Amino acid sequence: MSMNAVSENVVEVRNLCKYFPIRAGLFGRVVGQVHAVENVSFSIKRGTTMGLVGESGCGKTTIGKTLLNLTPKTSGEVVFNGNTHLDQLRGKTLREFRPKMQIIFQDPYSSLSPRLPVGEIIGEAVREHHLVPDHEYDAYVSRIMKACGLHDYQKDRYPHEFSGGQRQRICIARAIALNPDFIVCDEPVSALDVSIQAQIINLLEDLQKEFNLTYLFISHDLSVVQHISDTVGVMYLGNMVEYAGKEEIFANPLHPYTQALFSAIPIPDPTVKMNRIILEGSIPSPANPPTGCKFHTRCRECREVCKQKAPKTMDMGNGHRVACHIYDPESGYGRA
Amino acid sequence: MSENKANNLNNNEEQLALDDGRRVKVLSPGMMVFKRFIRNKLAIAGIIILAFMFLFSFLGGVVSPYRQDQVFYKTDSANKEYASAVVNTEYRFVTRDGSRLSTLVRANFSRVIKDAGEEGVSFEADGAAWTVRKLGDSFYSIGTAQELGTVTMLGKIADVKPNPGMEISDEVKAAALQAVQSGTLEFEVDGQTYLLTKGKAKSYTLGTVAETAIASLLSFDTYSSEDNALVAGFEFRRAAELAINEGETAFEAAGESFALEHEDGGALIYRAGDTENPMATVSNVIVNSVTSGVFLPMDYKAAVADAIADHQTAFEYVNADGVTERHTIRMRGNNYIIYTEQQTYLIDMYAAPSMAHPLGTDDHGMDVLTRLMYGGRISLMVGFVVMLLENLIGIIIGGISGYFGGWVDTLLMRFVDLFNSIPYYPMMIIAGAIMDAFEVPPYTRIFLLMAIMGIMGWTGVARVVRGQILSLREQDFMVATEATGIRISRRIFRHLVPNVMPLLIVQATMGLGSIILTEATLSFLGLGIKYPLASWGSIINAASNIYVMTNFWYIWIPAGVLIVLTVLGFNFVGDGLRDAFDPKMKR
Amino acid sequence: MSKKSKETSYISARESRRISKENIRITKKLDKRLSRKHVPEQEYLTQMRDEGNVVEFDNLHTYFFTDVGTVKAVDGVTFEVPVGKTVGIVGESGCGKSVTSLSLMQLVQRPNGQIVDGAIRLNLGDKAYDVAKMPIEAMQKVRGNIVSMIFQEPMTSLNPVFRIGFQLDEVISLHNPQMGKEEVKARSIESIKMVGIADAEGIYNRYPHELSGGMRQRIVIAMALACNPRLIIADEPTTALDVTIQAQILELLRNLKSEINASIMLITHDLGVIAEMADYVVVMYAGRVVEKGLAKEVFLDPRHPYTIGLMESKPVINKTVDRLYSIPGAVPNPVNMPDYCYFRDRCEKCVARCQGKYPPEIHVSDTHIVSCWRYFEEGAAK
Repeated sequence: MSMNAVSENVVEVRNLCKYFPIRAGLFGRVVGQVHAVENVSFSIKRGTTMGLVGESGCGKTTIGKTLLNLTPKTSGEVVFNGNTHLDQLRGKTLREFRPKMQIIFQDPYSSLSPRLPVGEIIGEAVREHHLVPDHEYDAYVSRIMKACGLHDYQKDRYPHEFSGGQRQRICIARAIALNPDFIVCDEPVSALDVSIQAQIINLLEDLQKEFNLTYLFISHDLSVVQHISDTVGVMYLGNMVEYAGKEEIFANPLHPYTQALFSAIPIPDPTVKMNRIILEGSIPSPANPPTGCKFHTRCRECREVCKQKAPKTMDMGNGHRVACHIYDPESGYGRA
Repeated sequence: MSENKANNLNNNEEQLALDDGRRVKVLSPGMMVFKRFIRNKLAIAGIIILAFMFLFSFLGGVVSPYRQDQVFYKTDSANKEYASAVVNTEYRFVTRDGSRLSTLVRANFSRVIKDAGEEGVSFEADGAAWTVRKLGDSFYSIGTAQELGTVTMLGKIADVKPNPGMEISDEVKAAALQAVQSGTLEFEVDGQTYLLTKGKAKSYTLGTVAETAIASLLSFDTYSSEDNALVAGFEFRRAAELAINEGETAFEAAGESFALEHEDGGALIYRAGDTENPMATVSNVIVNSVTSGVFLPMDYKAAVADAIADHQTAFEYVNADGVTERHTIRMRGNNYIIYTEQQTYLIDMYAAPSMAHPLGTDDHGMDVLTRLMYGGRISLMVGFVVMLLENLIGIIIGGISGYFGGWVDTLLMRFVDLFNSIPYYPMMIIAGAIMDAFEVPPYTRIFLLMAIMGIMGWTGVARVVRGQILSLREQDFMVATEATGIRISRRIFRHLVPNVMPLLIVQATMGLGSIILTEATLSFLGLGIKYPLASWGSIINAASNIYVMTNFWYIWIPAGVLIVLTVLGFNFVGDGLRDAFDPKMKR
Repeated sequence: MSKKSKETSYISARESRRISKENIRITKKLDKRLSRKHVPEQEYLTQMRDEGNVVEFDNLHTYFFTDVGTVKAVDGVTFEVPVGKTVGIVGESGCGKSVTSLSLMQLVQRPNGQIVDGAIRLNLGDKAYDVAKMPIEAMQKVRGNIVSMIFQEPMTSLNPVFRIGFQLDEVISLHNPQMGKEEVKARSIESIKMVGIADAEGIYNRYPHELSGGMRQRIVIAMALACNPRLIIADEPTTALDVTIQAQILELLRNLKSEINASIMLITHDLGVIAEMADYVVVMYAGRVVEKGLAKEVFLDPRHPYTIGLMESKPVINKTVDRLYSIPGAVPNPVNMPDYCYFRDRCEKCVARCQGKYPPEIHVSDTHIVSCWRYFEEGAAK
């Protein structure tokens, strides 16, 4: 079912920008822009998972939706399977390409049509795209449901009869049923209980192995990201401040924000005394971001240059990229 | 808390794991809505009210014994003038066939009768000499007299001297002399009546009299119209009146024999040999109906005449239906006015509540309860049709606006704004006036009204649908349908519409109340439903008259109560449905 | 086949009617008792089992009489909150942890939710009340004054149309009617300062929407502290917050803990937060306490298979496992629960006794109690 030319990278993102206009007044005049995503570049290798972490409002969900062209991007490039630019597809062609890339949402309650039975929710698009012959349809849906830990008898039930975890399984089943190459998992476990989280994470991992899936795993929960990802990108106010392989980034976080973020996670062990970096203040509004390095308002290492100049993304080797003046010898950080 | 453990598990359930979804039975979605709905007491009250209204309107019309435009009449039994009677003082003239009596002659007659004796008085009119002779009590003969000559009595010898140019036969002369001697002043020769009129000294004037008419105060009424011609005939009248005057019990006329029965001031005439059924009455009392064109029966007239003759003030009369009526007589001037409990047939307006009309009748004499039932049909029907129309247009426009968004949305919403800024009531008043001007038939009018109300009222629905769809469109499940590449039509009809439905049902239910109110307002203002059709509003219209409003509460209060209850009912049910569909809205 | 299963999974109309009727009967009776006016204090006056506790939950049963049957949201919960200590209640959604705290405030949604049995002894210092028996009237004096609450959603727990200062003043003057206006304001500003906001005067005149989520949560905490309560219930205070903000709030709560003399009942599903904050831990599952003890005991030596599973299923940073442990199955719907260990069907460590009744409380140490048959012999030995 895969494309003829199998490229190594399922998704390549280059300088992706997404600005949301701020409208005001009677005629909706654009008075400003929210820089939800700014100059973000990354690529995801086939069969791997990229984790995207950051706090609310950092643009991680926007990246997910922009990748799938669910919201049109402002500029930059998103290349799928090495040759497909989703934003250049129109109408039916786009619709027919859709099954290749799927999305799983954070809120399992709003992501299912409340008035459709579960079997219909899962199989609807399968029938729409004629992915399986009609006579195999029922069996196919049952198989997918089983693969996602759902029971056959649940086919005719409505979403409201399910718990959060089961709903998330339904969402996953809906995505998997289309035999996609790439799935954006937008905080799929954040709304779930701990024991269910583990089940869903395991399910995602199992499915990845089984169907050779590629994930973009968006989460604010670093521990989950650490568990599931192969590469990790850290977002702050629309910028990707750090990007590296999992082992690299967790062993050696470079950006002050990443360091603070990692240290903020509570450890379920009362004997461990955390040497915690507490960030002051709260995240600035993305509509009115600070000048220079967007993190400088909360950064412990902030110096004069940070307030004036936006940092360049530095490749520290080993695929480790970081956007911070500290690591840029030309930034003038050290001089001040 | 033993009752809590009453929910025993049966064996089947015990085999299921605790976290198996089948272990605990849940409420089906429909049942859930239903349960939440029936828990709402107000909603139940609303449902009961509405059920009553529907039964009342749709079944009531079938059950009601009346039609909606059936006008009721009542027979009023007021003591009204029925007839008038007068004791005749005007002479009535019966002329011999082929003769006429001019007005001048009649006037002269009236002037001279006081002096008329048996021998008669004469006057001149119309170029002829007229002689009036008294034949009896208030019974005169009028004739044209011609002077033939003079009879002079000289002792025992009478001399008949003809006037110049006249000839008197010997037979006549002899008869005249004989008459003078015997003292009779009238004699007949060869069927010609001759009269002697006393002149100066012992002379008489001899003349012939051609009797033209008789005059009397009596009037003849026949029992059978067949006898009218006979009774009106000169010969009959003369003979009959002579007989009456002379107290005879029989007379002959027109070759028939008749019997007479004398009464006070009159008589009854029978055909000879038939003493059971009178043929005619004779009376000096004239009885007429007060209403023209009504012919009073003979026996009634006779009864009136009797009563007057007896100086009674009341009498009883058995009418043609065998009912005894009591009539009273009162004098007014020279007339006797006869009053009776009269059965008048008139439209039963503003009848008070009764068994036949539990809520009385309205200003058209129609049963208010029946009108309310039929009016309810129209009010509810208008409500539903307008609601459907509003929703149809509203869903389409709101749906398009909400789903596509962007400039389509802006355009359509500005269109909605435009529509909203059309003043509703002025428009309706104009529309009503136009329909009046074209004399649109009542049923067509209803349909036009519904169409106009629907077209004027969809904007609210469109806004609601748009808002709901806009918010649904942003929900993850709609994003998911886009991400899975489901075609637009399916996205709209399979995913969006079912989710908008509950809201629409609620909106529609609540809207129904306001539509009914609007219709009532329009009908009240006379712009909506027109006579003979009814709607609750048009029934209340009666209250626009202060007299009706204050005196006939039973006409408009029930309609008002029905409107209030129905609107309340729809609102209660709408509220209940909203809470049932979306429990989050509450608390 | 699927049609058939659909039918059997729904309650029949008759069954539903029966349940509704029963529910109305029970709730009416219970409600009547609570709505009484002028109830003598003696009726709900009680004796603390230990004067060192602020609250003692004793065999609390809070049931919800729902359309599908009686949901035993809290079914025999017993634990206590010592003075000045933080008790963390941990469990998954629907385990009854929130209902436990709401029962203490008598905020369980009536008439469906009712405390049907057990006692909640609240220590007022000089006397003790049994909240379970208290009429609504008397309860209003307790809320906010003796027990206050911090909710999960800082946005919805502040009224958006009033200034922060007004809302704070309102709370303070409500419970301290003798205070003058200036005094109240001073107290408000003081409590704003207390939650680590430097610009207290400025914040005092702001509206809630002008503040960030973390700030709002600080204000909510300030409101909870404003009346010097003896107990603060913090229901998922950091769940809605970002990680860095959560760290701030946790830091604040930790600092406040030493400053104020209040006990904290911390309700959360996040084991990490509990480990950082709590002195005692209560683990709840399906309306029952499955394990409770000192934080150290529970975290370092978890006994109940559920606790163990919960801890293993949470990925921990810098501790890589190839595959997460996950508890199979799902949290049961607490309707019509049978009388055997509720965790049995999901448990991978079942023993023969698990087929029997629900396990009793077993003391594995003086403070560490677990409800699991696996420790029956061990507990009996003690």
